[in-house]
Parts: sequence; structure tokens; C-alpha cells
Amino acid sequence: MIHVLIFLPLLFGFWVLLAPQQARAVGLFGSLLTLLLGLISFGGVLSGADYAYQTPLLREAGVYYAVAWDGVGAVLMLAVVIATFMALLAAHDVPPAMVGLSLLMESGLLGILAAQDLLLFYVFFEATLIPSLLMLGLFGGAGRVRALIKFAIFTLLGSLLMLAGILAARYLGGSPSFLLKDLLAHSLGGGAGMWAFAAFLVAFMVKTPLFPLHVWLPDFHAENHPSGLADVMGTLYKVGIFGLFRWALPLFPAAFAAFQPWLLALAALTALGAAWTAYAQTEWKRLLAYGALSHMGIGALGIFSGSAIGASGAIFLLAASAIYTGALFLFAGGLQRRFGTLELRPTTGLAKAAPALAALGLILVLAMVGLPGLSGFPGEFMNLLGSWQASPIWTFVAFLGVIAAAAYGLSAYQNLFHNAPGKPAADMDGVEWQWGTLAVLVILFMGVYPKLFTELIMPGAKAFAALLGGGQ
Amino acid sequence: MTTLIILFVVALLTTFVGFFAPAATTKKLTLLGMLAALVGLAFTWGDNVSAFSGLYRYDVFSQGVTLAMIVGALLALLADCDFFERKGWPAFEYYALISFAVFGGHVMASTTHLGAMIVGLEILSIPLYALAASSREERGYEASLKYFLLGAVSAAFFLYGIALYFGSTGSFTLGAEGKGLIFNAAVLMMLAGLAFKSALAPFHWWTPDVYQGSPTPVTLFMATAVKAAAFAALARLVVSVGLGGPWFYALAAIVLLTVFWGNLAALVQGEAKRVLAYSSVAHAGYIAVALFGPNPAPSMGFYLLAYALSTGLAFAVLAELDDGKGVPISELAGLWARSPLLGLGWLTALLSLAGLPPLVGFWGKYLVFVEAAKGHQYLIVALALFAAVIAAYYYLKLLAVALFGKAEKVKPLKLAGSAPVGLALGIFLVVLLGVLPGLTYKLLTLASAVVK
Repeated sequence: MIHVLIFLPLLFGFWVLLAPQQARAVGLFGSLLTLLLGLISFGGVLSGADYAYQTPLLREAGVYYAVAWDGVGAVLMLAVVIATFMALLAAHDVPPAMVGLSLLMESGLLGILAAQDLLLFYVFFEATLIPSLLMLGLFGGAGRVRALIKFAIFTLLGSLLMLAGILAARYLGGSPSFLLKDLLAHSLGGGAGMWAFAAFLVAFMVKTPLFPLHVWLPDFHAENHPSGLADVMGTLYKVGIFGLFRWALPLFPAAFAAFQPWLLALAALTALGAAWTAYAQTEWKRLLAYGALSHMGIGALGIFSGSAIGASGAIFLLAASAIYTGALFLFAGGLQRRFGTLELRPTTGLAKAAPALAALGLILVLAMVGLPGLSGFPGEFMNLLGSWQASPIWTFVAFLGVIAAAAYGLSAYQNLFHNAPGKPAADMDGVEWQWGTLAVLVILFMGVYPKLFTELIMPGAKAFAALLGGGQ
Repeated sequence: MTTLIILFVVALLTTFVGFFAPAATTKKLTLLGMLAALVGLAFTWGDNVSAFSGLYRYDVFSQGVTLAMIVGALLALLADCDFFERKGWPAFEYYALISFAVFGGHVMASTTHLGAMIVGLEILSIPLYALAASSREERGYEASLKYFLLGAVSAAFFLYGIALYFGSTGSFTLGAEGKGLIFNAAVLMMLAGLAFKSALAPFHWWTPDVYQGSPTPVTLFMATAVKAAAFAALARLVVSVGLGGPWFYALAAIVLLTVFWGNLAALVQGEAKRVLAYSSVAHAGYIAVALFGPNPAPSMGFYLLAYALSTGLAFAVLAELDDGKGVPISELAGLWARSPLLGLGWLTALLSLAGLPPLVGFWGKYLVFVEAAKGHQYLIVALALFAAVIAAYYYLKLLAVALFGKAEKVKPLKLAGSAPVGLALGIFLVVLLGVLPGLTYKLLTLASAVVK
């Protein structure tokens, strides 16, 4: 079952790439099937199954194909399958190859979340890069090659350093294999642990992303295909927080303790700095990119607090933002289709002409701002609660970032919908109703009943905090 | 023994049949011969045979290297058919020379006796001097002459090293006890001689010119099979003397110089074959990283195979584009649109060379770096990994041009002859061994897989 779930999108992806005539139908069917499988698996995890499986991949070198769904993995898995389906539903006017590449990426992402072997994780982590690069390179805007090289070099710099760290973690730590449980039992400390941790940190900071390794992100989003499909997949690919949670911090608790104050500062400054920069943007996608960056800063703050509540908040935020940030990028795609531009100025006064679209936009923006009752709130709240115990000062700084979110989110919304009536535009069409309803339902559900997810995340987060020797 | 005999018979057969039969028949015969050698290899895999009173030594390491060489030769043969037919070159000797070169490489890889090694080296090298000039054009002659002169110098180094080795130990067999200035000089000279052949910096000067000037299928063969044979000898030499003493620093300097020089020089090239030439220099550096481990044989064997597949595939793609004047990078534009198979081959080959999973190149890099990590040479591993990031830039640049660049001429390319077979086989193997690396690595780690 777990293998089917991981590799089903891959199969459909190749199908679409090889036979592009029915791309949309096949892509939708594939991602819907994956979504159903994901829901069934999620139900299984709720009732206590973990679908664990392992077999040697390279026995002589201690590399295993080991996968499982723990609570944290299952929650994020659900977010991935929902967001992919939503994105494929929304993006009805993309080239067929993009649908195929998105499905390939979905497979890679599910593998990243399921992997219980560090090297397997690395393989999925890197393999996902390939379709992501192709999508940017083949269908991106005018500056795509520059954006592509930037994105690729940052990612590869981080991940090759991480490969060195992986080798050090195993061979210096004396673990018999790359399995998570073996590595945890042979934790690497001392000076070597510091270096190895730093290598992991660079890789995941690129992918969170955190200041100062975030500079690839705005170009990546601005240059990608205007439909927003690639942006959604790119958002899902930002698995840095998960990587920190699952691998980097638990493997090197001693090194983390030494780095912690600096990391908290970095995360808080990312949250505030990115929010500030977002406020100054005049283009939707760049604004969203910086807004998402700010949220990831808050998530990283929760992880770096080392507490169970902070970590579970970060994971929840990651899952929630996959949906609402993704939906916002798709929303941007809709604007692009209507006006041919994403500049915030010329598209003012839309609320009269398109009231339903305005309502959808408002809900999505409010979710991003973190209004209680929507999915953005529980995660942010738990993050800040957790990090308060670790460092009140940096929590305060990050909190300023949360406030700034209201400023940039709402002012962008106001510019778009409520200034003097502007050009007439069509209201939501059928496709937009479909994905919009799905997004709003998920956002409301996660906001109203977060307990379902936090209860799944909590055991993992508690084990995480216990490994780091931290709070409750 | 079987493999040796098969390769020898193939070399003789192709020579004599070539006089009477058309070149196409000789080509088929050579392909069949290589397949027969593969079968022979498969049936004797894991054997540990010593023959001719120790002159010939057939162990798992030599089997692995021979496998890489035959794969390189097969890709070269499959890619070249179309190439040579298109140019209308009457080149039956071509196939005989390739067969002889593989035979020589096998001898070189399967011995610990320095006399046999130099004989193998020459059987390997002399056909290549002729092959480099097989286009019978100005650039081919230049490449051939350069290759010949520098090859002669490297052979001289190697021979002088052998003489000193015999002088200080009284033996021609690697592994003899020895110490003192003469012995150290002997090892260093042999190291330098083999570094020429395997294109390690600072002995790599000939590589870009020769690779660029030779016909592309020949370049393919040089970059894969010849390098494999040279590394086999290098590994046996280094393992036999151990890594103490002055040659540790010599080797470390060579490796680091190679990975950085190769990658940095590749950044500024304007012609695809030259870029790949410098990339092959850099890869020689990565392979040599394995020498710092306690048992380099399995990981080196795997890397050589992975590298032969990936580089072979890349040159096979270029062979289709090359009309004898090289391939400027701008000419790659629109490759995907012109021929999806070539585009896919280019994509797989370059991503594999860049070391991205799940392609075979990743496991090659992984295994050699692990090997060096086991030998506690973390600094070398970290620096080599850093150099690999530089490499990603030019691979991506080559890839971006081919896939995303706007083509000036959108004339579709029609592949003919055996080229599509070679390309498809290469792509298939690069992906298959990338997903299931255990398939071959298992073979290379049999109990007897230790270089002695």
C-alpha cells in the first residue's frame, strides 16, 4: 500500500509524459487516485498502523529501502496529496509535460516524507530536484535560466554538503546502517558532530528557506509558469523544516544545543525581514514568496525552540501553508489569466465586478495572516508558544513579523479589490469554484478542528523534544 | 583465461576478416566479439586465477575494469557506425584497432607484473594513436601527434620507474619490499606515467586537445575504456606500496589539483567536447579519491562502470551532432526538439555525471567518497564534494542550452544505423543501475575483491 501510494504518481507521470494527448484527464485521475489512497492511509495511521517496510537496497553499504508513515509523515503526506490534486485541478491550461512533471515531483515528495533511511531520503530529496528544474527551465518566464541556475546551485551546494554530513554521521558515529533508528542510537558528538550538523543545516536552510540562503526563492516563483502549478509544487518541495525535524536536529542534539541561540535569532530575523520585504513588493508572486518565507521563519523558530509544542506547531504550519500558500499561488494564476499581469496597481477595484473571487481571495489572505478559525492560526500560535519558552526576545521579534503579515496581506487585498472600481473582469469560473471550494473546506477544517492533526503530530514531537533534552 | 583468449581471438579475427569482408561485416563481428567477451566474463566472474607464472592475474578487480572497458567499447562501436557511414570513411582498421586496444587494456588491468603491464599499456596505446587520426583530417593528425608524443613521454616515465623499481627491489612484481630514495623515486615515476594515461592533473594537458581533435566515437572510447585500464594499473600500484610516505602527499596533491583544475577549466570552455574533456579530467580525480580508502577496488570498479556509461552516453549524443569540426555549445540549442532520444540521452548523461540520484553517477560518487571516508580522509572528501558543486554549474549550463535554448536550425535529426540502439541501451543502464545499484555492486564486492 505504501509503495503504491509513493510510486503511483510516478507511473501516472510517465504515462502523461509519454502519451500527452489526454494529459489533463490522466493527470487528474492519477492525482485523485493518489489522494484517495492518501486518505485511506491517513485513516490507517489514525487507527494505529504505520505501514513500515524495509529491504536492503545496497546491502554491502548498509543502505535500505525503508519507508513508513508515522504521524508527522502522514499529516504532511495528506497535505501533499491534497495540494497536488488541487493544483492539477486548477491548472487547466498548462502544457501536458507540466502535468507529468508535477506528478513525478509528487512521487518524490511522498518518498521524502516516508523515508526512514537517511540515504534513501537523500535520493528522494535530490531526485525531486530534477522535475522541478525541468519545469522551471521548460515553462518559465524570460529570466528562467538565471533563476534556474541560482536555484540549482543553492540546492546542490546544500545537498552535497549534506552528503558529506551523512557520511560523517554514519561512519564517524559508528552506525551499522543509514536507518534512522540505527543513526539515532549512534549519535555523533564533539567537533565532528558540529561540522556534520552545520552541513545538514546549510542544506535544510536552503530548502526552508532561511536568511541568508533564501535568495533563490523570489526568482524561482517570479519566473515560474504563470498558472501557479509549478509554484505549488515548489512550495511543497520546501521540506527544510521537516528535514530539520526528522533528521538534522535529532541526529546531532549536542551540536544543536551549541548552535541554538544563533538559529533562533536567524529564524526570527527571517520572519520579520521577509515580512518587511513582502510589504514593499508590488507584484503578487513576489509578495507571496516573501510572505511564505516569513511563515517558514516562524516555523523554523518553533523547530529551533526544541520543544514539543513548538515542533508540532512547525509541522502543522508546514502542512497548513502547503494548502493556503499553494491556493494563493493558484489564485495569482487566475489573476494573471484575467489581466495578463501580476502587478498590484492596475487591477484595483475588483470586488464589484467579481464578488465571489474577492471572497475567495479574502479567505486565503486571512488564512495567511493567521486569523483564528482558519488553518494559519493554530500552527503560528503553537510555534510562538513553544519558542517563548526558549527565547522571549526572539519570539517578540518574530511576532512583529506576524503583525506585519496582516499589513502586507490586507493592503495587497485592499489594492486588488477595494480601491476605486477598475477594469471589469469575469467572476469565478467552474474550475475556480471547484478548487476554491476544496481549498476553503480544507482551510476551515484545519482551522476549526486542528486536534485531529496535532494529536497525530504530538507523539513524534514529544520524542523529538525528549531527544533534544528540552521542554514538554 | 577465457576472457583473455576471447579478446585475443576477436582482435586477430577482426584484423584478418577486415582484409576480405566489407567494413559493415567487420563491425558486426567486433560487436559480436565484445558480446562474447561479456559472456566469457560472466561465466568466469568471481574466479581468481593466476597464470603464466604470475604474469597474468585474473581477479574480481580486473573483471570489473574489463566490464567497464567493454561497455565503453560497445557504446563507441554502436555510436560510431552511423558516424563513419555518414562520412563514408573506409575504416575497417578502426574495428581491429578497437579490439586490440580492449585486449591491451585487459592485459594491463590483469597483472601485477610490471613487464606485462607495460606490454598491455603499449598494446592499448598504439592503436589509439592511429584511431585519433582515423578521420584523416588536419585536426585528427594534430590530436594523434600530440597524443603520441605525450604518450611516449609517459611510457618513458613508466619504464624508467620500472627500471628503478627493479634496481631497488630486485623484482618486477608489485608488492616487493622496498625503501629508500631510489624506491620512492621509482614509485613516483610510475605514478606520473600512469597519471598521464588517466589524465590526472598536472599531467592532463593533452586531454582537451586530443579529445576535441579525435573523431567523437574515438573520444568516447578514450574517455571510457582507456581511463579504466589506466586506473586499474594505478590502483594496483598504489595499493601495493600503501599510502605512507611521500606518495600520500603526492597523490593528495594530484587528486585535489585534478578535481579543481578540471572543473574550473570546464567552466570557461566554448565547445562541448572540450567541456566533457575537462569534466573527464575532474572525474579522474573523483575516481582517485577512492585510493585513500582501505579497499578501493569495489568502489573504483563501480565508478569506472558508472562513468563509462554516463560519459559514453554523453559522447554518443555528441557523435550524432559532430560533423568533424566539434560541437560549439550554441549548436546544442533545441536538441530536445530536434530529436527527443538525443535530448533524453543528453539529460540522463549529464545529470548522472553531475551526480544526481537516482542515476548511476550518484552511486559512483557516493561509493568512492565513502571509501575515502573509511580511510579517514575527510578533508579530501569535503574538498572533492565542493568541487562537485562547481561541476554542477557547467553540466546544468550544457543541459539548459540543449533543453531550453531557442534553436536557430530546427531541422529534425534522423538517427540511423545502430546509434538509437546504443543511446537507448545507455539510457536504460544509467537509470537501471541508478535505481538498483546493488545489481553490479554486489558483483564487485565478492570476497576475493581485493587488489593485491
